[in-house]
Amino acid sequence: MQKFLRHPVVDTAIKALSRNRLQTVLTMLGIAVGVATVLAMMAVGAGAQRSIEQQVRAAGLNQITIRAGNWRPKITDSDEAVAHQGDARESLRHPLDRRNPDVLPIAFHPEDDPMEKHDHPTARQRLGDLEAGLGSAATMTFDDAEALRQLPGVQYVAGGIHENVRVHLDPSTGSGSPRATSRGDQKRWFTRMHGTDVMMPSIKRAWTFTSGRFFTEREQDRASQVVVLGQVVADKLFGPGAAPVGREVMLWNQTFEVIGVVTSATWVVQPAPGDDQFDAVYMPYTTTQRLLNLSKLNDITVTAESSGDISRLSREITKLLRIRHGIGDHEADDFTLITQATKALTTGGLPPSVARAVASNVAELEKVTLEQLAMTMERASRTMTWLLAAVAAVSLLVGGIGIMNITLLSVTERTSEIGLRMAVGARGKDVMRQFLFEAVVISAAGGLAGIVVGVIASIGIARTLQWATVVSPLSVVLAFGIATAVGVFFGWYPARRASKLDPIVALRRD
Amino acid sequence: MIAVHDLAKQYHVGDHVVNALKGVTMSVGAAEFVTIVGPSGSGKSTFMHILGCLDRPTNGRYVLNGRDVSTLPPDELARVRNETIGFVFQGFNLLARTSALENVELPLLYTRQGVVRAAERRDRAMRALEAVGLTDRADHHPNQLSGGQQQRVAIARALVTQPSLLLADEPTGNLDSATSHEVMEIFARLSSDRGITIVVITHERDIAAYGTRIVDFRDGLVVSDRANEAREPARVG
Ligand SMILES: Nc1ncnc2c1ncn2[C@@H]1O[C@H](COP(=O)(O)OP(=O)(O)O)[C@@H](O)[C@H]1O
Ligand SMILES: [Mg+2]
Repeated sequence: MQKFLRHPVVDTAIKALSRNRLQTVLTMLGIAVGVATVLAMMAVGAGAQRSIEQQVRAAGLNQITIRAGNWRPKITDSDEAVAHQGDARESLRHPLDRRNPDVLPIAFHPEDDPMEKHDHPTARQRLGDLEAGLGSAATMTFDDAEALRQLPGVQYVAGGIHENVRVHLDPSTGSGSPRATSRGDQKRWFTRMHGTDVMMPSIKRAWTFTSGRFFTEREQDRASQVVVLGQVVADKLFGPGAAPVGREVMLWNQTFEVIGVVTSATWVVQPAPGDDQFDAVYMPYTTTQRLLNLSKLNDITVTAESSGDISRLSREITKLLRIRHGIGDHEADDFTLITQATKALTTGGLPPSVARAVASNVAELEKVTLEQLAMTMERASRTMTWLLAAVAAVSLLVGGIGIMNITLLSVTERTSEIGLRMAVGARGKDVMRQFLFEAVVISAAGGLAGIVVGVIASIGIARTLQWATVVSPLSVVLAFGIATAVGVFFGWYPARRASKLDPIVALRRD
Repeated sequence: MIAVHDLAKQYHVGDHVVNALKGVTMSVGAAEFVTIVGPSGSGKSTFMHILGCLDRPTNGRYVLNGRDVSTLPPDELARVRNETIGFVFQGFNLLARTSALENVELPLLYTRQGVVRAAERRDRAMRALEAVGLTDRADHHPNQLSGGQQQRVAIARALVTQPSLLLADEPTGNLDSATSHEVMEIFARLSSDRGITIVVITHERDIAAYGTRIVDFRDGLVVSDRANEAREPARVG
């Protein structure tokens, strides 16, 4: 550093810049504002990008669920599809969500009356495929899932069996809190059971484990009696902040070991009683099949590698399953494809503010697919980014013109110095380098100041506007690069002018 | 050392052409101390700029140390200026807020090998300052030095690359008579002791008398070119 500062070019630059100290500092300030804005812009952009990604993941944009049975008429016309989304909405609602009590949740087990006690897996619960209401619709098998896994463009496949269950604290180990024992509704919780695949956490990318883990391949192969609790269930049974992992719970009078607690990884989706994800328990589908004497699956969840691929993949899946199930050309499907587009809109996987924002932009929320929704969000963040980009561009332009101005001033003031340097042997490029360096010193120093301000501003935006911002190292490097580039760009003309000076004319000036 | 043949320089000012030099032919041997005199506007400075490779002639040839430099490209001319020529100006042209030593170091930033290392720069600059008797003023800035001292710093700067040709355009123009003579003594000594070829422009008779040869310019032409009997030419090398 000492050596660098002593280098004649650097030394000359420092002397020259300190000569017009106020102009230099003001020009640096202009660049600093520009760079800070660039940084904030990228931070906001990246933050928005991340929010959208979380949103998309949380809502499962790339997800297709294939349900056993044809509970919705096959629809090819898209307008008709919209008209029928209403049906889908009711069917997908959680059984405890009784906002619309007159509509029966037909996709669920007919025995699933939340008001009724049925805790015996060997009695009414343990009905077998036919009696379990899957009946002739019980068409989905593990082999179907395996076949779907082979389709190109498929990312993950998970078969699932879904039931409503009562989860009890195991009386032998479940000491719980004194309040839990004194109040019945806290030691017992009526919730949703998902018998599912080890793949599930990969599909639900907006999951995070509060504690513990998901079940393993081995546990799935062995149909182990392990269970992962949704955050809501864990809180209800064990109380908030408790550590349920390693404890035991009862389902269908069977003991299950709690191996993990899962919650939402994003602020967009908050676990709430009655939701399908976190007011739920998860176990290997093999365990469910064993205990409930089932061989079929309720549904298969498929994720596409690309969310834009959903429509194509849906057609492929339909084609494949029709062949596998031996369905003739004029017969109806014995399964139903649900893309998350319909689901997310009808069940509200989005925070109300976002939904409202979107709703004000489009005439009919019903018509919006989630793809469009994501695009709208992206457009919103792009608008913000463009706005900041404009501010950044203007301040960098102003800063750049400042640099050009101060460098031109410097060239004029130091004309005889330039002449002298040329007389003692400086070539045009030596002179050019000197002035370019001085311009870059201003812009780089302004850039460094701007980076500090920009990082602080990004944190400030995140704190005050509740808008996630991400300052990546790359953006810092980029911001500094832009500052330097501004110096080079706007210093070029004055530096070139200096280098083209005629030494005689320059010498004569004083 | 220097051989110019039919050297001409025209300036275009607006519509009309100024013939600053109208065909100058002369040669200067090594270690000669030439003084150029002549009225203002007679083309002395123009001639010296061409000799100093700061400018190129419109016409004619200029051979410096056996090399035709009249048509060299600008970067090459810069090299020649750096290595072969030292300049001293009427107005000293020292960098303000820069010590005498650093002023003297200046040509060493632009050598063929690039920037000379700091220690060596300092060493060579100190030796040049020694030659003009100013080692004790090395750290002084120009505004802390008298006119004569400033001009001596400028001479040291011209010497630091050890040129074979020293050009001075009215070096005593801004100095009083006593310091003028001090400065001219230095030139005379450099010529006789080191064998440096020196060309000094002046319009003062007594200053011109320092030269071993006096050339008179008038209207862009040499009107008289005679040896100065008062001084013996110091033939070295
Ligand atoms: N850059 C220039 N452009 C136009 N005319 C010039 C320029 N430089 C010198 N001259 C003219 O050339 C002539 C010679 O000038 P100069 O060599 O400076 O004379 P001196 O140094 O003997 O006073 C003068 O008439 C002057 O006006
Ligand atoms: Mg002159």
